[in-house]
Amino acid sequence: METVRKYFVIWIRTAGMAMQAQLTYRLGSFGFLIGKMIRLGFFFAFIVAVFNHVDTVAGYNLTETALFFLTYNVVDMVAQIFFRGVYGARRTVSEGDFDFYLVQPCSPLFRIVFSSVDFLDIVTLIPVLVMVGVAFGRLPHAGWERYAAYAALVLNGVALSYSVHVFVAGLTVRTQEMENAIWIYREVMFMGRFPVDVYAASVRWALTLGVPIAVMTSFPAKAYLGRLSPAWAAYAFALSALGLIASALYWRASVARYTSSSS
Amino acid sequence: MSVALETKGLTKDYRSPVKEPGLWGGVKALFDRKYKDTRAVDGVTFKIDEGELVGFLGANGAGKTTTLKMLSGLLTPTSGEAVALGHVPWKREAEFQKKISLVMGQRTQLWWELPAYETFRLNQAIYGIPEVDFRRNLDELVDLLELGEHLSVPVKKLSLGQRMRAEMAAALLHQPRLLLLDEPTIGLDVIMQKKVREFVKAYNKKYNATIMLTSHNMTDVTELCRRVIVIERGVLLYDGPLDRLVERYADHKLIRARFQTPVDAADLKNLGSVISMEENVVVLEVPRDRIAASAGALLASYPVLDLDVEEVDIDDIVRRLFSHA
Amino acid sequence: MKKYLTAYAISLQETLQRRSTLIMDRVGGFAVILSLYSFWTALLGDKPGFMGYTRAEMLTYVLVINVLRSLVFTGRGWQLVGEISSGKISSYLIRPLGYSAYALSLDLAQKSVHVASAVLEVALLSALTRGALFLPRDPAAWLLFAASAALASLLFFYMEFTVSCLAFWTSESGGPLFCFELFLTFAAGAFFPLDVLPDGLRRLLSATPFPYMAYLPARVFLEKVTAAEGLRLLAVEAAWLAAVVAVSRLVWRAGVNSYAAEGG
Repeated sequence: METVRKYFVIWIRTAGMAMQAQLTYRLGSFGFLIGKMIRLGFFFAFIVAVFNHVDTVAGYNLTETALFFLTYNVVDMVAQIFFRGVYGARRTVSEGDFDFYLVQPCSPLFRIVFSSVDFLDIVTLIPVLVMVGVAFGRLPHAGWERYAAYAALVLNGVALSYSVHVFVAGLTVRTQEMENAIWIYREVMFMGRFPVDVYAASVRWALTLGVPIAVMTSFPAKAYLGRLSPAWAAYAFALSALGLIASALYWRASVARYTSSSS
Repeated sequence: MSVALETKGLTKDYRSPVKEPGLWGGVKALFDRKYKDTRAVDGVTFKIDEGELVGFLGANGAGKTTTLKMLSGLLTPTSGEAVALGHVPWKREAEFQKKISLVMGQRTQLWWELPAYETFRLNQAIYGIPEVDFRRNLDELVDLLELGEHLSVPVKKLSLGQRMRAEMAAALLHQPRLLLLDEPTIGLDVIMQKKVREFVKAYNKKYNATIMLTSHNMTDVTELCRRVIVIERGVLLYDGPLDRLVERYADHKLIRARFQTPVDAADLKNLGSVISMEENVVVLEVPRDRIAASAGALLASYPVLDLDVEEVDIDDIVRRLFSHA
Repeated sequence: MKKYLTAYAISLQETLQRRSTLIMDRVGGFAVILSLYSFWTALLGDKPGFMGYTRAEMLTYVLVINVLRSLVFTGRGWQLVGEISSGKISSYLIRPLGYSAYALSLDLAQKSVHVASAVLEVALLSALTRGALFLPRDPAAWLLFAASAALASLLFFYMEFTVSCLAFWTSESGGPLFCFELFLTFAAGAFFPLDVLPDGLRRLLSATPFPYMAYLPARVFLEKVTAAEGLRLLAVEAAWLAAVVAVSRLVWRAGVNSYAAEGG
């Protein structure tokens, strides 16, 4: 319990410091914020515009498709907010900050992943959450189990995303140059914007069993709409448990092989 | 006097990718990566008592920083053992980490855009320093390091000297018993170097902290350390008092002679090698065993006003030591 | 001229050398094309067409856009920002080397690799999906397409270059550059054809240079414009390019002066 409290205090301090630091870059922050809103807005406008011309896509109507898209954003943004440190991992390692993390009595993994909270992403998350509420309102009434399933699977998606981030952090520590890995994750995540049903069968399987984007972003909405069997839900939770364990082991191995960047 | 730290056969190997130059090499690298293995530290063994101030000497890439990093728990050795303050460093146990600190020259743990004070607060949370102790330690450090108003200014606006001092404060807030300093005076001007050295000496005296320091700067070593460990190409070459290092490895001494009237350098060649000749003063480098003979010859054959026998400069010794081994 | 060719060769080497970056970029690109292609396929369902595009045309649009994205939407903007903020730009300013021409050579090398890969991906995807691909029958269409694509890539390069010059005045140009690139890719029709947008918005966009970077060249490829119309579009595109290059020169000069004034 004491450790939890300690880590919470450390997180609060670093989050506060990160936000303070970010505020010193006003123009840059503003640009990124506007960029993110543009991306969100354009995609949303696209979906709405498309549904002006058709009724359903892959069997989902506008509200349902929107829910998939919004859920993707929720999972993705939560990951971006909390795991942001990994995006700067290469710099953290090459500039020697990681060396300090290893020498100090605080989990280096914790510091590399959680030390960089993006204040702006919290700002962009709020309208998305509101829209999710709107979508819920527009869809036929669902029992509390559906909401619970949705929430559980969203958290599950975040857990899976966490495993990916830990894996990338490990890769960066090991090779000191694989920052690209996180970008590949982000680019492949692009596919999560649409309900997984739009993809051809082979791709759908790949996204569920191979690179489990579908599990992260499509499953929650599917569960809410009553289209996810308990078997699949069980698979989703098992997968993230496996992911968490595997990535933790990989991290441990990578740190043992760490070479540090100076003579 | 208890043992602070002990190592046995510490060894570290590195593996780095090798790239062939040219366009064809670039295409080949896409399919087949080759690697090269280097042994950075090779069987290093030594023992340090509590409260000692030990200097690590060695050329760049000699392995001294790698050794230091293994002792801080940063790196895991390929083989060998070490125990520091009762712990195995690379296990990175929290109780161990709370007793040590690592300071690296020209690298900082301070957050760039924010005042140093913020990072101090963060470290307080990390090391679990009670508020009372934090305030007291901070005040002492601010005093000793003359940090005054520098704490409320963003770190990026500080000069290198101010930053280094703030860095030391951040590193010592938790009063570590073992302090590892990697090139702490690098890039600093002469006055700042002196301040840092004085601080280190004071800290060592006041808290009986064990201090290990690597440096290129010979003045750091001569001023602070009575004992030095020399590492070259990963191998420990010498471990002992600084003055004996000079004695053992300097196989030459210097004779400085002042003559009444100018003397031709060519004449002196068989007495030793002429290092310098200015007006009437000549400096000769002479092998130890020939000192008496050369000095005698000089006094006998030349109009000598003054004659001194000196040790070769430490810098030169160290430099020559490295090129030998 | 030789120095630019050498720059091209070195950059080509470097792009191939950094195989992890290369693979990342291509996988990312493939993910995008796969998603969009699948989405449109699902959307089309059994319908023969959508908004004036036949099935084959719609899907071809997605694939052409993929190639265009590799050709057009790469630049040296981020590198420029990096070089200005790190001060490395000084070394270029004292050399007898036109910086933008040099950057362009480097960029072309990168583009070569990426376009080659994009074409392979498109071929792979259409083979896998056995989708009917629309290929222009009129050789003029191919020529017009090639010309407009070439102009488009220069257009993007210089626009990005101009925005990147912000780095001469602020250390935070990353934000605006990010914002600009995102807006550009959407407005150019690089994710979905601009026909989807409501009329008013579409007309607004056609007054800007953005649609010329992806949407219009794709339409040329799909033979949705007559040869005459195609030439007219090409002319407008060329005019935009001239304007953008002129502005970029001005901004560059202003930037260099301000940079030099600060002592670098």
